[in-house]
Amino acid sequence: MNGTTNKDRTLYYETLPANQLELALFLEADRMRSLAITREHLDNQRSAVDEERRRRYDNQPYGRTDEALDELAFDAFASAHAVIGSPRDLDAASLDDANAFFRTYYAPNNAVVAIVGDCRAGDALTAAKRYFSPILSSPSPPPVDLGEAPQMGERRRALSDPLAPLPRVDIGFKVPNTGRQSDALRALATILGGGRSSRLYERVVRDQHRATSVAISLDPGLGPALFRITATVAPGATADRVEAAVEAEIERLQTAPVEPWELQKARAAARMASVTERQRSASVAIRIAEDAAFFGDPTRINGFEARIAALTADEIGRLARVYFVADNRTVVITAKPTSDTHEP
Amino acid sequence: MTRACYSVIAAAVAALQTTSGNEAVVMKGRAPVSDAPVHIRLPVPVTFDLSNGLHVVVLSDHRAPQVAFTLVIPGAGGYFDPAARPGLATFTAAMMREGTPSRSSEALARQLEILSASLEVSATVASPDATISGTCLREDFPTLVDVVADVLRHPAFAETELGRYKERTRAAFAQQRSRPGTLATELFARLVNAPHPSARTMPTVEALDATTRAELVGFHAAHYVPDRAALLIAGDVTVTGVRRLVIGALGGWPRAGDRAPVVVDPPDRSNGGIHLIARPNSVQTTFVVGAPAVSRTSRDFEALQVMNQVLGAGPTGRLFVHLREEKGYTYAIVSLLTAGRYRGAWTAITDVRSDITDLALRDLLAEIARMRDEPVDALELRRQQHAIVAAFALTLESPRQLLDYYQTQWLYRLPADYWARYQERIMSVTAADVQRVARTYLDPSRLQIVAVGDPSQVRDRLSRFGEVAVDVADARIPR
Repeated sequence: MNGTTNKDRTLYYETLPANQLELALFLEADRMRSLAITREHLDNQRSAVDEERRRRYDNQPYGRTDEALDELAFDAFASAHAVIGSPRDLDAASLDDANAFFRTYYAPNNAVVAIVGDCRAGDALTAAKRYFSPILSSPSPPPVDLGEAPQMGERRRALSDPLAPLPRVDIGFKVPNTGRQSDALRALATILGGGRSSRLYERVVRDQHRATSVAISLDPGLGPALFRITATVAPGATADRVEAAVEAEIERLQTAPVEPWELQKARAAARMASVTERQRSASVAIRIAEDAAFFGDPTRINGFEARIAALTADEIGRLARVYFVADNRTVVITAKPTSDTHEP
Repeated sequence: MTRACYSVIAAAVAALQTTSGNEAVVMKGRAPVSDAPVHIRLPVPVTFDLSNGLHVVVLSDHRAPQVAFTLVIPGAGGYFDPAARPGLATFTAAMMREGTPSRSSEALARQLEILSASLEVSATVASPDATISGTCLREDFPTLVDVVADVLRHPAFAETELGRYKERTRAAFAQQRSRPGTLATELFARLVNAPHPSARTMPTVEALDATTRAELVGFHAAHYVPDRAALLIAGDVTVTGVRRLVIGALGGWPRAGDRAPVVVDPPDRSNGGIHLIARPNSVQTTFVVGAPAVSRTSRDFEALQVMNQVLGAGPTGRLFVHLREEKGYTYAIVSLLTAGRYRGAWTAITDVRSDITDLALRDLLAEIARMRDEPVDALELRRQQHAIVAAFALTLESPRQLLDYYQTQWLYRLPADYWARYQERIMSVTAADVQRVARTYLDPSRLQIVAVGDPSQVRDRLSRFGEVAVDVADARIPR
């Protein structure tokens, strides 16, 4: 049982023995109908989030880097701001704000319930209707502006981080996040940065010793995303040299087709991800609920492997040429301050 | 075995309890909870032994076209590092993945990743065992077994790869040591266990620098033997198929015929204390508070597990409810019971904001004292026992987890029906048992309190609890 919030949605899930399905439906419906947002609860949860922020961001090396990259890369508030919020915003949130947010978004007409497991579909639907249908709808939430004007030049920032033992280079390219291009970008991420056989690990980490680790992430969601390359600079190397090495690999992607074995690797990774996802009822339920909410298609999970399998080397090369360009690039270099001067 | 999972049932019931006083909410107390007991059925493993001593456990599970395996090699873990090379077992395990005479490091990585198969060789610095584990799709299992046999029997330990590994690993050590949780855990282990191998949490940079190819070859030859090893396989396989593959690939792994390596408990220390690791610029204090506990085969293990569940294993434990839900001191607090072949420890771990360091520690210690001083309420005990059992039942979804349970049973020579009767074992722990183990193992004079934080903000607050020894954070960037 847990709850998570990212840029696009909040999600609650629970896994129970099959005979407790009614309990889960009752509890979720009860929350949606009558959450007690009191001064006491708000203050208490605010301090929990304050501590979460300190623990995950303020007290960890590179804890501020992700936020800095998003803020710099995106123009639309919805994409640019950190989900956890700033301490100032957390302090400013009133009881009315929390109640209004709850009424607007935690309404049955704005929610999806997915049930996966050892139950009969008809019985589960009847039970879900029993608990959720008495809850009143709210007016539809206002549309969110996720639009980003094309980026017209590289954005760059040096971030000072007294806790960082080694400098780190974070490079983000803004990319579309839905549809076929998103699938192709996932395959591209596997080829460029997935595992020890990936291009970045082989060259930049293993051969050149310029970085101690390289990772690629691609946030799931509705809006434009960042295709994010993160490399920790090896002792003796410099951030410039790491950037140059990453750039060389990107150029190689743009000028020569990816190799057949690399496509095969991306396809196998997609198949393994599908098989693994299906082993846990909770992960299937989460996937179905998100696909239903974002794409209006709860069966989208079934097509993932086939979509990745259909990708071609041409398509991947074209994506690299369109999106991995200097004008669309945002770079944050995180390092310990070199003198006593700190950033404001 | 993971202790991170927590129970849905207990959490849900507690939610009802904590909000039942609110009059605006009318449905509370009428939650449709099924009283039917959870029936846990475990698959029955098929086991057989090879003539070289290798024990094989097969759990056929055809729900997904995937196979997971673990090969456990007792005697090949960091527990058996030579005194001058703390980390040799860890380096040996890592270097086994860097190529064989017939597969370069690059070719090995490529062959596995084209199949999206995983293969890890690991040996932590304090463990008596090394493990080789992996996952693949059903159709690739024969290939994976072939690769495993090659990696196990014929690692190349090439000089060039060793040089590369040292470069990467030096920096990784520094990265890990920049995290406050790593520093706290490291000092706690040293205080509670030194000079036992379990006092170590990471290899040293000096040992890494000094390690030679000959040492890796020697450690591998002497410790990677089948005599006491076990191979556990779970997933979409048949016993006949596994038998044929395993005999073909590992039947020729020669028996060493040596004596079983001896594992002993850490020395018994009775003195606790308060230690602060000075980490300037910290905005929180990271705590590890704990005491020595038991080995996995102790008669007190299950009672301690229940006690730990009541006190702090999950979000309905007393520590979480008190320090987070009631006081808002922390985002998370969790307590852990670690127990292996030698005596482990009970610990509570949390990060709290610097200016309430003293208040949080006071409340944490008060909850520990309450555990000793008062018998746990019957209803609370029952709920937390159900929570352990329900969490156990839910983890059976994963073949990997199932494999871990059978590994535990085999490794510690637990009774064959240990997991089948686990529910009964947990449910039969009484409130008196819980209080007894709390009194025995959470003795205040044995508690070690380790804090990592900014000394200018934290030192005085800690000194209210006794004398504070101050250490300096050491996250050196290696040469």
